[in-house]
Amino acid sequence: MGGDALWYEAAQVVGITNALNVVADGLGGVMAPVKVTGASPEVAAVFDEIRSFYGGTPDIPGPFALAAHDPAYLADLWAAARHAYDDNCLPRRLKAALAFAVSLTTRSAFGTGFHLAEMRRLGVGERGVMEIVGVTQMFSSYTKIADTLQLEPDMGDIAPVDPTPAPAPGAG
Amino acid sequence: MPTVRLRDAEEYPEPARRAFELSKRWFNHDFPVPPAMSRVMAWDPGFGNPHGRAMKRAMGPGEFTRGEKEMVAAAVSGANACAY
Repeated sequence: MGGDALWYEAAQVVGITNALNVVADGLGGVMAPVKVTGASPEVAAVFDEIRSFYGGTPDIPGPFALAAHDPAYLADLWAAARHAYDDNCLPRRLKAALAFAVSLTTRSAFGTGFHLAEMRRLGVGERGVMEIVGVTQMFSSYTKIADTLQLEPDMGDIAPVDPTPAPAPGAG
Repeated sequence: MPTVRLRDAEEYPEPARRAFELSKRWFNHDFPVPPAMSRVMAWDPGFGNPHGRAMKRAMGPGEFTRGEKEMVAAAVSGANACAY
């Protein structure tokens, strides 16, 4: 996988996944989500987009339903999340796998279940799921071995440097 | 600084030195010195060999490509706050 654009996209997925998981796992049990019925028109419009993006699911994923207490915040959070998870240089299927792996690694009950369901909805079979579980498990091992022995990075130069400039606003 | 003294490749027995050569193919990179993790895993073949086989099995192409899996591995490493 070459080119920095791919890695910027992966980083966005990792970041926004963690942001959504923190709210869902931390607040899901102590704050009531905004329900679809009775939502303001402004919130209902965003909820419609969210349902459409996630295959017409009747339920609004927890972090967005919680964020809906502040409609303007919900709109921006959703815009960022949609941009991060949508097809771009990386396909949605791989982005769902990245989000699942990060959720599993960070022990997010919400994220693990949600992104596993997304992977399956996007066509990943049981073999593919187990592939991502295996990678997640093995690199959760390597990272802890490296940290315990305080190994210094020595593989950073095996990838080529991407000489392209930052994209123009609106590109991609 | 590492907790242990990382041995030079020449200090390992022949099977481990062969594995260091194979790792160049795996990474498609001509390391002048075997990566620290390769040397760590070669210290105890009873652990390193099956762990390495499990890793190669997990990373091999399937529903996801090797490249896609390397990206997942990088994300997992980042989530574990591991700089290595």
